[in-house]
Amino acid sequence: MPSSDRRARLIGAAVLVPTVVALLAACSSTGAGTAAPSSGSTTGSTTAPVSKGVSKVSIELVSGASGDECRVSHTSAKAGPTTFTVANTSATGITEVELVQGQRIVGEKENLAPGLAPVAFTSTLTGGTYAVVCPGASTETIPFTVTGTAPAGSGSDAASLLADGTRTYGEYAASTLADMTTAVQKLRQAVDSGDVTAAKRQYALARPFYEKVESDVEGFVLPGSSPTDNKGNLDYLIDMRASNLDPSVGWSGFHAIERDLWQGGRITATTKRYAADLTENVGKLVSLAKTLTYKPEDLANGAAGLLEEVQSGKIKGEEELYSHLDLVDFAANVEGAEQAFANLEPGLKKIDPVLTQQVADRFTAVTDALKAYQDPEQAGGYELYTASVRAKDATALSRLVASLQEPLSRIAEKVATA
Amino acid sequence: MTDDDVQGARPPVSRRGLISGIAGGFAAGAVAGAGGAAAFAAAAAPASAPEDESETVDLTRSHPFYGQAHQAGIQTEQQRYTVYMTFDLTSPLASDLQVLLARWSGAIAQMMQGLPIGSVEPDGSGAVALDTGEAYELSPASLTVTVGLGPGVFDDRFGLAAKRPKHLADLPDLPSDQLQDETSGGDLSLQACADDPQVAYHAIRDLTRMARGVATTRWTVLGFGRASAGKGQKTPRNLMGFKDGTRNIKEESDFDRFVWVGDDQAWTRGGSYQVVRKIQMNIETWDADPVGDQQDVFGRTKAVGAPLTGEREFDVPDFAKRSGDATVIPQTSHVALAAHENNGGVKILRRGYNYTDGLNRVGLLDAGLLFLSYQNDPQHFITLQTRLGSVDRLNEYIQHIGSAIFFTPRSPKRGRYIGQELFE
Repeated sequence: MPSSDRRARLIGAAVLVPTVVALLAACSSTGAGTAAPSSGSTTGSTTAPVSKGVSKVSIELVSGASGDECRVSHTSAKAGPTTFTVANTSATGITEVELVQGQRIVGEKENLAPGLAPVAFTSTLTGGTYAVVCPGASTETIPFTVTGTAPAGSGSDAASLLADGTRTYGEYAASTLADMTTAVQKLRQAVDSGDVTAAKRQYALARPFYEKVESDVEGFVLPGSSPTDNKGNLDYLIDMRASNLDPSVGWSGFHAIERDLWQGGRITATTKRYAADLTENVGKLVSLAKTLTYKPEDLANGAAGLLEEVQSGKIKGEEELYSHLDLVDFAANVEGAEQAFANLEPGLKKIDPVLTQQVADRFTAVTDALKAYQDPEQAGGYELYTASVRAKDATALSRLVASLQEPLSRIAEKVATA
Repeated sequence: MTDDDVQGARPPVSRRGLISGIAGGFAAGAVAGAGGAAAFAAAAAPASAPEDESETVDLTRSHPFYGQAHQAGIQTEQQRYTVYMTFDLTSPLASDLQVLLARWSGAIAQMMQGLPIGSVEPDGSGAVALDTGEAYELSPASLTVTVGLGPGVFDDRFGLAAKRPKHLADLPDLPSDQLQDETSGGDLSLQACADDPQVAYHAIRDLTRMARGVATTRWTVLGFGRASAGKGQKTPRNLMGFKDGTRNIKEESDFDRFVWVGDDQAWTRGGSYQVVRKIQMNIETWDADPVGDQQDVFGRTKAVGAPLTGEREFDVPDFAKRSGDATVIPQTSHVALAAHENNGGVKILRRGYNYTDGLNRVGLLDAGLLFLSYQNDPQHFITLQTRLGSVDRLNEYIQHIGSAIFFTPRSPKRGRYIGQELFE
């Protein structure tokens, strides 16, 4: 979800939040998820030794008398590359270790468990206050101080790489929205011409653009509208489906046209009105979207949101109920998610190269699986997602996407800037 | 969370205490009735009997994970509920399997103590919680999670073929099998047992989550009541209403002789073979069968559970005793076919649970027994089931619809994980 003045949209959800917070706050008092800054678990406080220009710090995770402990060999280092080697000797309650600066994760290791070989990560640090965080340890946060200034050219900073990524992603989103405007205009022309075959083709060609950036733009309401009223909700007006139809608003948008073209098989005056309204609403959306700026976590959350769309709509064949173009939307959701991830990748690699590789591999697995459905004969480029294809493949596709969602869901907190 | 909180919120529950008044009332009525019912009354009536330890649930109880001779959940006093699940490995990398077994071991150790496997409410609203939270602040409830390695772990995918336990292979087709692919097989198994079903479910859910991308779920069964007894436990009943597990393995010497592996590669010692069968019952048909016939099917009486040649549950069956030209205990009864006396002395450890899947497509009760057995040679199970599947009178009322086999390695030492020897 990008940063923009879209708070109104969130009011409905926000109502729930205080209750949840209150309930969970009660839990926190018993120790889960709370950090108690202290250096009690450190076994040394001297400056880390430097070997071949790299500072060396070792972290041992041990089951101790007062619970799992995170033992850090040194609590300060000279500016420059620093390698943290993590060994879980016996702490079953600690599965990850992070080096953080403020709220930002500089480097980390996950999947730690007793019995596995030690693992290491290296970060180039400049002077300042950091902390080693071991979630689940009796003392979770151990301050770590870096003195001096990192030598110039010692590596690009993850934060600046991530910031670059958000700018490039913003350009991708803007150009996708521009393409959507054109495609929707062509759809309207085809509908106005009364040619059902041409209109079906333009429908298939117009669909992907919205699906690529949906999670960025789904929060917009028309100026002056209540966020609880679907009449002013642009996402609703553009992309409503039979399964979430609000009788007080009635049909509108892409899927109203889809229904007329495929189920009805003809174009009526109502179909033409749907196409005109769609063009107008897309125009409003694109103009509102010009205000969007993105933080790295928006890209991560947006990518996760697009994959949720795949699971909740496309896998079940609910999105394109009449045209069965679900795989076109599926591929577009995945492309949008992959674009967001690709723009985070250079920065994320500095923070957590293992996770970055895992997510990249699983995107490849999903896109490879989708290739099997490509069909250049079909407008949109994918074979129809009929009931029989669904019965045969939905489970496998769903599992493949789930295996991507799991690691992808961990990116947002790693790239968070606030 | 303190022990006091737990005691206050969830005092140990005694079913005996709750039902004794009812049983007493029932006994009085029965004695006034027909003579045949008096026997049932005698069995059900002892309201004044001393409190039976195995009838008391103490949710604060926990079992150790590390440093035991064997994995928990095999010899462990049987808990009331299970969630059983098998998985297919989807990653071709041995290192993924290795990390999964290590992560599972650490997480199981945490959960068996009643602890979350990570933060339930992490710092920073953008973070995803490591523990899903539904067992947070619940007691350990005697949770055990037993990890099994299927034959697929030792095929040519992971380079572990040389370490295959010598008897680990898919079970052969057995008489009367009606196995369904969607309730059979798997490369890995998890048997979570606890006295609180939510604790067992949480364990499986969070371990499944950890496996995502490495292994996919294959089949699962939720067992709602134990259908086998361990040492010191009163014999429970299966859904046919009969006591199950009267002659189960209980003595240490029998465990050593029949359950624990001792004569294979070093890493397998102290482990066992887990055989699981999903056995569907024709509930409605069974319920319409007269009790005399039901007792002949089992070879035992229904209320007391005595062999048809005896008076009390633990009387030794006399398979030779005749009445007219037939044996008193029919030769094709379940007890006669399964008895160690008639199988060259072979015994297996049973640790089953009653399950239900709700209703079937035509509205009949869909329920049965999740049969779980442990043995040091799967041939013992194969021998027994070959006989049972061929001629057991019970076959008229049951179908084996699911099947799988796994090797359950011994418990790891602290600082190690289940199956670590495979990767060393």
